[in-house]
Amino acid sequence: MNKTIKHFLLFISLSFGITNHSLYAIEENKISAFMQTNIDLATTILRDKKLYKNEKSEKLFVIFDSIFDYTLMAQLSLGSKQWSLLDASKQNEFTKLFEEKLKLSYMNKLDLYTDEKIVIKNLEKIKDTRIHLTTHLMKNSEVYEIIYKFYKNKNNDWLIYDVDILGVSIIQTYRTQFADILTKEPFEKLLEKLKQPDEETPKKQ
Amino acid sequence: MRLFLAFIFSGILLFASEMTASSYANDDFDAEFNDTQNKELFDPLSSYNESMTTFNDSFYEYILKPTAEGYAFIVPQQARNGISNFFDNLLFPIRFANNLLQLKFFNVLEESERFMINSTMGILGFRDLADEELSIKAHDEDLGQTLGYYGIGSGFHIVLPFLGPSNVRDLVGLSGDMWLNPINYFEARHLNLLKNQEQALATTAFFTINETSLHVKEYTQLKKDAIKLYPFMRSLYESRRNKLIHE
Repeated sequence: MNKTIKHFLLFISLSFGITNHSLYAIEENKISAFMQTNIDLATTILRDKKLYKNEKSEKLFVIFDSIFDYTLMAQLSLGSKQWSLLDASKQNEFTKLFEEKLKLSYMNKLDLYTDEKIVIKNLEKIKDTRIHLTTHLMKNSEVYEIIYKFYKNKNNDWLIYDVDILGVSIIQTYRTQFADILTKEPFEKLLEKLKQPDEETPKKQ
Repeated sequence: MRLFLAFIFSGILLFASEMTASSYANDDFDAEFNDTQNKELFDPLSSYNESMTTFNDSFYEYILKPTAEGYAFIVPQQARNGISNFFDNLLFPIRFANNLLQLKFFNVLEESERFMINSTMGILGFRDLADEELSIKAHDEDLGQTLGYYGIGSGFHIVLPFLGPSNVRDLVGLSGDMWLNPINYFEARHLNLLKNQEQALATTAFFTINETSLHVKEYTQLKKDAIKLYPFMRSLYESRRNKLIHE
Protein backbone atom coordinates (compact mmCIF):
# COMPACT_ATOMS: atom_id res chain seq x y z
CA MET A 1 0.00 0.00 0.00
CA ASN A 2 2.82 2.29 0.87
CA LYS A 3 4.18 1.74 -2.58
CA THR A 4 0.93 2.69 -4.29
CA ILE A 5 0.74 5.89 -2.33
CA LYS A 6 4.26 6.67 -3.37
CA HIS A 7 3.30 6.12 -7.00
CA PHE A 8 0.26 8.22 -6.54
CA LEU A 9 2.26 11.06 -5.11
CA LEU A 10 4.72 10.72 -7.91
CA PHE A 11 1.95 10.91 -10.43
CA ILE A 12 0.39 13.93 -8.80
CA SER A 13 3.67 15.76 -8.61
CA LEU A 14 4.38 14.88 -12.20
CA SER A 15 1.06 16.06 -13.49
CA PHE A 16 1.30 19.14 -11.37
CA GLY A 17 4.67 19.77 -12.90
CA ILE A 18 3.17 19.49 -16.33
CA THR A 19 0.11 21.65 -15.74
CA ASN A 20 2.20 24.13 -13.90
CA HIS A 21 4.52 24.30 -16.83
CA SER A 22 1.79 24.70 -19.40
CA LEU A 23 0.72 27.88 -17.65
CA TYR A 24 3.80 29.42 -19.19
CA ALA A 25 3.49 27.64 -22.49
CA ILE A 26 4.48 29.61 -25.53
CA GLU A 27 1.89 29.24 -28.21
CA GLU A 28 2.92 29.21 -31.80
CA ASN A 29 1.38 32.51 -32.80
CA LYS A 30 2.89 34.17 -29.79
CA ILE A 31 6.51 33.13 -30.26
CA SER A 32 7.57 36.36 -31.93
CA ALA A 33 5.83 38.61 -29.42
CA PHE A 34 6.99 36.49 -26.51
CA MET A 35 10.58 36.50 -27.70
CA GLN A 36 10.48 40.21 -28.38
CA THR A 37 9.36 40.81 -24.79
CA ASN A 38 12.12 38.56 -23.52
CA ILE A 39 14.75 40.16 -25.70
CA ASP A 40 13.69 43.62 -24.55
CA LEU A 41 13.74 42.50 -20.95
CA ALA A 42 17.16 40.91 -21.38
CA THR A 43 18.48 44.04 -23.07
CA THR A 44 17.26 46.18 -20.17
CA ILE A 45 19.04 43.89 -17.73
CA LEU A 46 22.22 43.92 -19.81
CA ARG A 47 22.21 47.70 -19.96
CA ASP A 48 21.60 48.16 -16.25
CA LYS A 49 24.88 49.53 -15.01
CA LYS A 50 23.87 49.23 -11.38
CA LEU A 51 23.79 45.45 -11.49
CA TYR A 52 26.82 43.28 -10.83
CA LYS A 53 27.73 40.62 -13.34
CA ASN A 54 26.40 37.74 -11.26
CA GLU A 55 23.16 39.62 -10.51
CA LYS A 56 22.73 40.22 -14.22
CA SER A 57 23.23 36.62 -15.12
CA GLU A 58 20.92 35.47 -12.35
CA LYS A 59 18.13 37.65 -13.70
CA LEU A 60 18.85 36.61 -17.28
CA PHE A 61 18.85 32.92 -16.45
CA VAL A 62 15.36 33.25 -15.01
CA ILE A 63 14.22 34.27 -18.48
CA PHE A 64 16.28 31.63 -20.26
CA ASP A 65 15.18 28.81 -17.99
CA SER A 66 11.58 29.18 -19.13
CA ILE A 67 12.37 29.02 -22.86
CA PHE A 68 15.40 26.72 -23.19
CA ASP A 69 15.05 22.96 -22.92
CA TYR A 70 18.43 22.21 -21.35
CA THR A 71 17.68 18.52 -20.93
CA LEU A 72 17.01 18.07 -24.61
CA MET A 73 20.02 20.20 -25.49
CA ALA A 74 22.23 17.97 -23.36
CA GLN A 75 20.74 14.89 -24.96
CA LEU A 76 21.22 16.23 -28.48
CA SER A 77 24.77 17.32 -27.86
CA LEU A 78 25.61 13.77 -26.87
CA GLY A 79 23.54 12.06 -29.57
CA SER A 80 20.73 9.64 -28.80
CA LYS A 81 22.89 6.55 -29.20
CA GLN A 82 25.38 7.58 -26.55
CA TRP A 83 22.58 8.97 -24.38
CA SER A 84 20.70 5.66 -24.32
CA LEU A 85 23.82 3.88 -23.10
CA LEU A 86 23.80 5.90 -19.89
CA ASP A 87 21.78 5.13 -16.80
CA ALA A 88 19.43 7.76 -15.42
CA SER A 89 21.81 9.10 -12.80
CA LYS A 90 24.58 9.59 -15.36
CA GLN A 91 22.11 11.29 -17.70
CA ASN A 92 21.14 13.64 -14.92
CA GLU A 93 24.70 14.39 -13.99
CA PHE A 94 25.61 15.08 -17.59
CA THR A 95 22.57 17.31 -18.12
CA LYS A 96 23.39 19.32 -15.05
CA LEU A 97 27.02 19.79 -16.05
CA PHE A 98 26.04 20.66 -19.58
CA GLU A 99 23.58 23.30 -18.44
CA GLU A 100 26.25 24.78 -16.18
CA LYS A 101 28.72 24.81 -19.06
CA LEU A 102 26.26 26.66 -21.30
CA LYS A 103 25.53 29.21 -18.62
CA LEU A 104 29.17 29.72 -17.76
CA SER A 105 30.01 30.23 -21.40
CA TYR A 106 27.23 32.82 -21.60
CA MET A 107 28.37 34.59 -18.45
CA ASN A 108 31.89 34.86 -19.81
CA LYS A 109 30.51 36.88 -22.66
CA LEU A 110 28.58 39.40 -20.59
CA ASP A 111 31.55 41.76 -20.51
CA LEU A 112 31.51 41.93 -24.27
CA TYR A 113 28.08 43.52 -24.29
CA THR A 114 28.07 47.20 -25.14
CA ASP A 115 25.02 48.58 -26.88
CA GLU A 116 24.02 45.86 -29.31
CA LYS A 117 20.40 45.58 -30.31
CA ILE A 118 18.57 42.42 -31.28
CA VAL A 119 15.61 42.60 -33.63
CA ILE A 120 13.38 39.79 -34.81
CA LYS A 121 13.53 39.39 -38.56
CA ASN A 122 11.64 36.31 -39.52
CA LEU A 123 9.70 33.36 -38.17
CA GLU A 124 9.75 30.28 -40.31
CA LYS A 125 7.85 27.08 -39.67
CA ILE A 126 10.17 24.33 -40.87
CA LYS A 127 7.66 21.58 -40.11
CA ASP A 128 4.84 20.81 -37.68
CA THR A 129 7.12 20.66 -34.70
CA ARG A 130 9.91 23.06 -35.63
CA ILE A 131 10.10 26.82 -35.87
CA HIS A 132 13.15 28.90 -36.67
CA LEU A 133 13.17 32.45 -35.37
CA THR A 134 15.75 34.56 -37.18
CA THR A 135 17.03 37.60 -35.34
CA HIS A 136 19.61 40.20 -36.20
CA LEU A 137 22.10 41.47 -33.72
CA MET A 138 23.17 44.97 -34.67
CA LYS A 139 26.49 46.34 -33.58
CA ASN A 140 27.50 49.71 -35.00
CA SER A 141 26.74 49.17 -38.67
CA GLU A 142 27.40 45.43 -38.66
CA VAL A 143 24.62 42.87 -38.61
CA TYR A 144 25.00 39.36 -37.21
CA GLU A 145 22.42 36.65 -37.74
CA ILE A 146 21.24 34.56 -34.80
CA ILE A 147 18.63 31.85 -35.27
CA TYR A 148 16.70 30.44 -32.34
CA LYS A 149 15.43 26.94 -33.07
CA PHE A 150 12.18 25.96 -31.36
CA TYR A 151 10.47 22.59 -31.17
CA LYS A 152 7.00 21.70 -30.01
CA ASN A 153 7.04 19.30 -27.09
CA LYS A 154 4.27 16.91 -26.15
CA ASN A 155 2.51 19.55 -24.07
CA ASN A 156 2.36 21.82 -27.10
CA ASP A 157 4.90 24.18 -25.62
CA TRP A 158 7.47 25.68 -27.88
CA LEU A 159 10.95 25.51 -26.45
CA ILE A 160 14.41 26.33 -27.75
CA TYR A 161 16.69 23.37 -28.43
CA ASP A 162 19.49 25.04 -30.38
CA VAL A 163 20.88 28.44 -31.29
CA ASP A 164 22.61 29.12 -34.56
CA ILE A 165 25.11 31.97 -34.50
CA LEU A 166 26.43 33.08 -37.90
CA GLY A 167 25.76 29.61 -39.23
CA VAL A 168 27.40 27.83 -36.32
CA SER A 169 25.04 25.62 -34.33
CA ILE A 170 25.87 25.48 -30.65
CA ILE A 171 24.60 21.93 -30.32
CA GLN A 172 26.54 20.77 -33.39
CA THR A 173 29.72 22.27 -32.00
CA TYR A 174 29.33 20.40 -28.72
CA ARG A 175 28.26 17.26 -30.53
CA THR A 176 31.41 17.21 -32.63
CA GLN A 177 33.59 17.72 -29.58
CA PHE A 178 31.83 15.12 -27.45
CA ALA A 179 31.95 12.59 -30.28
CA ASP A 180 35.66 13.24 -30.70
CA ILE A 181 36.37 12.85 -26.99
CA LEU A 182 34.29 9.68 -26.72
CA THR A 183 36.10 7.92 -29.57
CA LYS A 184 39.27 8.04 -27.51
CA GLU A 185 38.19 8.28 -23.93
CA PRO A 186 35.54 6.87 -21.58
CA PHE A 187 32.44 8.81 -20.61
CA GLU A 188 33.83 9.55 -17.15
CA LYS A 189 36.61 11.54 -18.76
CA LEU A 190 34.07 13.66 -20.62
CA LEU A 191 32.30 14.45 -17.36
CA GLU A 192 35.63 15.44 -15.88
CA LYS A 193 36.35 17.77 -18.77
CA LEU A 194 32.95 19.39 -18.34
CA LYS A 195 33.64 19.92 -14.66
CA GLN A 196 36.92 21.66 -15.29
CA PRO A 197 36.76 25.40 -15.00
CA ASP A 198 38.13 27.14 -18.07
CA GLU A 199 41.87 26.92 -17.92
CA GLU A 200 42.38 29.87 -20.17
CA THR A 201 40.21 32.27 -18.21
CA PRO A 202 42.36 35.28 -17.52
CA LYS A 203 42.40 36.27 -13.90
CA LYS A 204 42.30 39.99 -14.42
CA GLN A 205 38.75 40.39 -15.75
CA MET B 1 -9.90 0.94 -3.76
CA ARG B 2 -9.95 -0.74 -7.13
CA LEU B 3 -10.88 2.53 -8.75
CA PHE B 4 -7.99 4.15 -6.98
CA LEU B 5 -5.59 1.50 -8.30
CA ALA B 6 -6.97 1.87 -11.78
CA PHE B 7 -6.38 5.56 -11.55
CA ILE B 8 -2.76 5.01 -10.55
CA PHE B 9 -2.31 2.41 -13.23
CA SER B 10 -3.59 4.70 -15.96
CA GLY B 11 -1.29 7.34 -14.61
CA ILE B 12 1.71 5.09 -14.95
CA LEU B 13 0.63 4.12 -18.46
CA LEU B 14 0.35 7.73 -19.39
CA PHE B 15 3.78 8.34 -18.04
CA ALA B 16 5.13 5.40 -20.00
CA SER B 17 3.60 6.62 -23.23
CA GLU B 18 5.24 9.94 -22.65
CA MET B 19 8.57 8.23 -22.29
CA THR B 20 8.26 6.58 -25.68
CA ALA B 21 7.09 9.81 -27.21
CA SER B 22 10.21 11.56 -26.04
CA SER B 23 12.55 8.98 -27.52
CA TYR B 24 10.66 9.13 -30.81
CA ALA B 25 11.06 12.88 -30.90
CA ASN B 26 14.72 12.36 -30.31
CA ASP B 27 15.23 10.21 -33.42
CA ASP B 28 13.70 13.01 -35.33
CA PHE B 29 16.29 15.38 -33.92
CA ASP B 30 19.25 13.17 -34.63
CA ALA B 31 18.57 13.43 -38.34
CA GLU B 32 18.83 17.18 -38.00
CA PHE B 33 22.31 17.03 -36.59
CA ASN B 34 23.63 13.94 -38.28
CA ASP B 35 25.00 15.90 -41.17
CA THR B 36 28.34 15.57 -42.87
CA GLN B 37 30.08 16.63 -39.73
CA ASN B 38 28.91 13.72 -37.72
CA LYS B 39 28.23 10.87 -40.08
CA GLU B 40 31.41 8.83 -40.08
CA LEU B 41 33.41 11.98 -40.35
CA PHE B 42 36.24 11.57 -42.87
CA ASP B 43 39.22 13.12 -41.20
CA PRO B 44 42.32 11.28 -42.44
CA LEU B 45 44.67 13.97 -41.16
CA SER B 46 43.12 14.16 -37.71
CA SER B 47 46.28 13.47 -35.72
CA TYR B 48 48.37 15.87 -37.83
CA ASN B 49 45.54 18.41 -37.64
CA GLU B 50 45.34 18.09 -33.91
CA SER B 51 49.02 18.78 -33.38
CA MET B 52 48.98 21.61 -35.92
CA THR B 53 46.05 23.16 -34.03
CA THR B 54 48.12 23.04 -30.86
CA PHE B 55 51.09 24.52 -32.72
CA ASN B 56 49.01 27.36 -34.18
CA ASP B 57 47.44 28.00 -30.81
CA SER B 58 50.84 28.35 -29.14
CA PHE B 59 52.14 30.44 -32.01
CA TYR B 60 49.18 32.75 -31.58
CA GLU B 61 49.31 32.97 -27.80
CA TYR B 62 53.08 33.26 -27.36
CA ILE B 63 54.28 35.02 -30.49
CA LEU B 64 51.61 36.70 -32.57
CA LYS B 65 49.42 37.99 -29.76
CA PRO B 66 52.20 39.58 -27.68
CA THR B 67 53.67 41.11 -30.84
CA ALA B 68 50.31 42.52 -31.84
CA GLU B 69 49.72 43.84 -28.33
CA GLY B 70 53.11 45.55 -28.28
CA TYR B 71 52.41 47.01 -31.70
CA ALA B 72 48.97 48.21 -30.56
CA PHE B 73 50.63 49.90 -27.60
CA ILE B 74 52.79 52.02 -29.92
CA VAL B 75 50.44 52.61 -32.84
CA PRO B 76 47.12 54.34 -32.08
CA GLN B 77 43.95 52.55 -33.05
CA GLN B 78 42.97 55.12 -35.65
CA ALA B 79 46.19 54.52 -37.56
CA ARG B 80 45.77 50.77 -37.30
CA ASN B 81 42.24 51.05 -38.66
CA GLY B 82 43.61 53.10 -41.54
CA ILE B 83 46.25 50.52 -42.31
CA SER B 84 43.64 47.78 -42.16
CA ASN B 85 41.48 49.74 -44.62
CA PHE B 86 44.48 50.23 -46.89
CA PHE B 87 45.18 46.49 -47.11
CA ASP B 88 41.49 45.74 -47.46
CA ASN B 89 41.33 48.03 -50.44
CA LEU B 90 44.41 46.39 -51.90
CA LEU B 91 42.76 42.99 -51.71
CA PHE B 92 40.03 44.23 -54.04
CA PRO B 93 41.06 41.93 -56.94
CA ILE B 94 40.19 38.82 -54.92
CA ARG B 95 36.72 40.08 -54.04
CA PHE B 96 36.13 41.44 -57.53
CA ALA B 97 37.12 38.20 -59.29
CA ASN B 98 35.17 35.93 -56.97
CA ASN B 99 31.99 37.97 -57.00
CA LEU B 100 32.26 37.95 -60.78
CA LEU B 101 32.86 34.20 -60.88
CA GLN B 102 29.76 33.70 -58.73
CA LEU B 103 27.81 35.95 -61.09
CA LYS B 104 26.97 38.35 -58.26
CA PHE B 105 26.95 41.34 -60.57
CA PHE B 106 25.51 43.82 -58.12
CA ASN B 107 28.34 43.01 -55.71
CA VAL B 108 30.86 43.36 -58.54
CA LEU B 109 29.50 46.83 -59.21
CA GLU B 110 29.60 47.80 -55.53
CA GLU B 111 33.11 46.44 -55.14
CA SER B 112 34.29 48.49 -58.12
CA GLU B 113 32.62 51.59 -56.72
CA ARG B 114 34.28 50.99 -53.39
CA PHE B 115 37.68 50.54 -54.98
CA MET B 116 37.40 53.72 -57.01
CA ILE B 117 36.03 55.88 -54.21
CA ASN B 118 38.39 54.60 -51.52
CA SER B 119 41.52 54.64 -53.70
CA THR B 120 40.97 58.25 -54.65
CA MET B 121 38.97 60.21 -52.12
CA GLY B 122 39.78 57.70 -49.41
CA ILE B 123 43.48 58.42 -50.00
CA LEU B 124 44.85 55.08 -51.26
CA GLY B 125 42.23 53.27 -49.28
CA PHE B 126 43.28 54.47 -45.83
CA ARG B 127 39.75 55.65 -45.28
CA ASP B 128 36.74 53.54 -46.09
CA LEU B 129 34.65 56.44 -47.36
CA ALA B 130 32.41 54.19 -49.41
CA ASP B 131 31.14 52.57 -46.22
CA GLU B 132 31.30 55.65 -43.99
CA GLU B 133 29.54 58.04 -46.33
CA LEU B 134 27.60 55.87 -48.74
CA SER B 135 27.12 52.66 -46.74
CA ILE B 136 28.53 50.55 -49.53
CA LYS B 137 29.94 47.52 -47.78
CA ALA B 138 32.60 45.10 -48.94
CA HIS B 139 31.42 41.73 -50.25
CA ASP B 140 33.97 39.26 -49.04
CA GLU B 141 34.21 36.33 -51.37
CA ASP B 142 37.15 34.03 -51.94
CA LEU B 143 37.87 31.24 -54.36
CA GLY B 144 37.05 28.55 -51.79
CA GLN B 145 33.56 30.05 -51.55
CA THR B 146 33.33 30.27 -55.34
CA LEU B 147 34.17 26.57 -55.65
CA GLY B 148 31.59 25.80 -52.98
CA TYR B 149 29.07 27.95 -54.80
CA TYR B 150 29.43 25.65 -57.80
CA GLY B 151 28.76 22.62 -55.68
CA ILE B 152 32.28 21.43 -54.95
CA GLY B 153 32.38 19.65 -51.60
CA SER B 154 34.76 20.71 -48.87
CA GLY B 155 36.86 17.53 -48.86
CA PHE B 156 38.66 16.62 -45.67
CA HIS B 157 39.80 19.11 -43.09
CA ILE B 158 43.38 20.41 -43.17
CA VAL B 159 44.89 22.67 -40.55
CA LEU B 160 47.54 24.85 -42.18
CA PRO B 161 50.58 26.04 -40.30
CA PHE B 162 50.10 29.70 -39.21
CA LEU B 163 46.98 30.11 -41.35
CA GLY B 164 44.76 27.82 -39.31
CA PRO B 165 41.75 25.66 -40.27
CA SER B 166 41.10 24.88 -43.92
CA ASN B 167 40.00 22.00 -46.11
CA VAL B 168 40.88 20.61 -49.53
CA ARG B 169 38.50 22.92 -51.38
CA ASP B 170 39.57 26.03 -49.51
CA LEU B 171 43.24 25.14 -49.90
CA VAL B 172 42.79 24.99 -53.68
CA GLY B 173 40.91 28.28 -53.44
CA LEU B 174 43.61 29.82 -51.32
CA SER B 175 46.33 29.11 -53.87
CA GLY B 176 44.21 30.77 -56.55
CA ASP B 177 43.55 33.79 -54.35
CA MET B 178 47.25 34.09 -53.55
CA TRP B 179 47.87 34.60 -57.24
CA LEU B 180 45.47 37.56 -57.18
CA ASN B 181 46.79 38.92 -53.92
CA PRO B 182 48.82 42.10 -54.58
CA ILE B 183 50.94 41.68 -51.46
CA ASN B 184 52.35 38.38 -52.67
CA TYR B 185 55.29 38.13 -55.05
CA PHE B 186 55.34 35.73 -57.99
CA GLU B 187 58.09 35.80 -60.55
CA ALA B 188 55.79 34.31 -63.15
CA ARG B 189 53.21 37.05 -62.59
CA HIS B 190 53.52 40.02 -64.90
CA LEU B 191 52.35 42.54 -62.40
CA ASN B 192 54.01 42.63 -59.01
CA LEU B 193 53.52 45.43 -56.53
CA LEU B 194 56.46 44.29 -54.45
CA LYS B 195 59.99 43.69 -55.66
CA ASN B 196 60.81 40.31 -54.19
CA GLN B 197 59.86 37.43 -51.92
CA GLU B 198 61.37 39.08 -48.82
CA GLN B 199 59.31 42.21 -49.26
CA ALA B 200 56.19 40.13 -49.75
CA LEU B 201 56.88 38.19 -46.58
CA ALA B 202 57.56 41.33 -44.56
CA THR B 203 54.39 42.98 -45.89
CA THR B 204 52.29 39.93 -45.08
CA ALA B 205 53.74 39.82 -41.57
CA PHE B 206 52.96 43.49 -41.07
CA PHE B 207 49.44 43.01 -42.43
CA THR B 208 48.90 40.06 -40.08
CA ILE B 209 50.19 41.88 -37.00
CA ASN B 210 48.04 44.92 -37.80
CA GLU B 211 44.92 42.80 -38.32
CA THR B 212 45.57 40.80 -35.17
CA SER B 213 46.03 43.98 -33.14
CA LEU B 214 42.47 44.98 -34.00
CA HIS B 215 41.00 41.64 -32.93
CA VAL B 216 43.41 40.63 -30.24
CA LYS B 217 41.02 39.16 -27.69
CA GLU B 218 38.57 37.51 -30.05
CA TYR B 219 40.34 34.19 -30.52
CA THR B 220 41.14 33.86 -26.83
CA GLN B 221 37.52 34.62 -26.00
CA LEU B 222 36.24 32.12 -28.52
CA LYS B 223 38.59 29.44 -27.32
CA LYS B 224 37.09 29.57 -23.83
CA ASP B 225 34.05 27.73 -25.11
CA ALA B 226 36.08 24.82 -26.36
CA ILE B 227 36.12 21.59 -24.43
CA LYS B 228 38.55 20.15 -26.94
CA LEU B 229 40.21 22.65 -29.22
CA TYR B 230 40.70 20.73 -32.48
CA PRO B 231 37.14 19.38 -33.02
CA PHE B 232 35.80 22.71 -31.75
CA MET B 233 37.74 24.72 -34.32
CA ARG B 234 37.00 22.21 -37.07
CA SER B 235 33.27 22.30 -36.43
CA LEU B 236 33.25 26.07 -36.22
CA TYR B 237 35.25 26.52 -39.40
CA GLU B 238 33.27 24.06 -41.52
CA SER B 239 29.86 25.38 -40.36
CA ARG B 240 30.87 28.96 -40.89
CA ARG B 241 32.26 28.29 -44.36
CA ASN B 242 29.08 26.46 -45.33
CA LYS B 243 27.05 29.42 -44.21
CA LEU B 244 29.24 31.86 -46.13
CA ILE B 245 28.98 29.79 -49.30
CA HIS B 246 25.19 29.78 -49.12
CA GLU B 247 24.93 33.50 -48.50
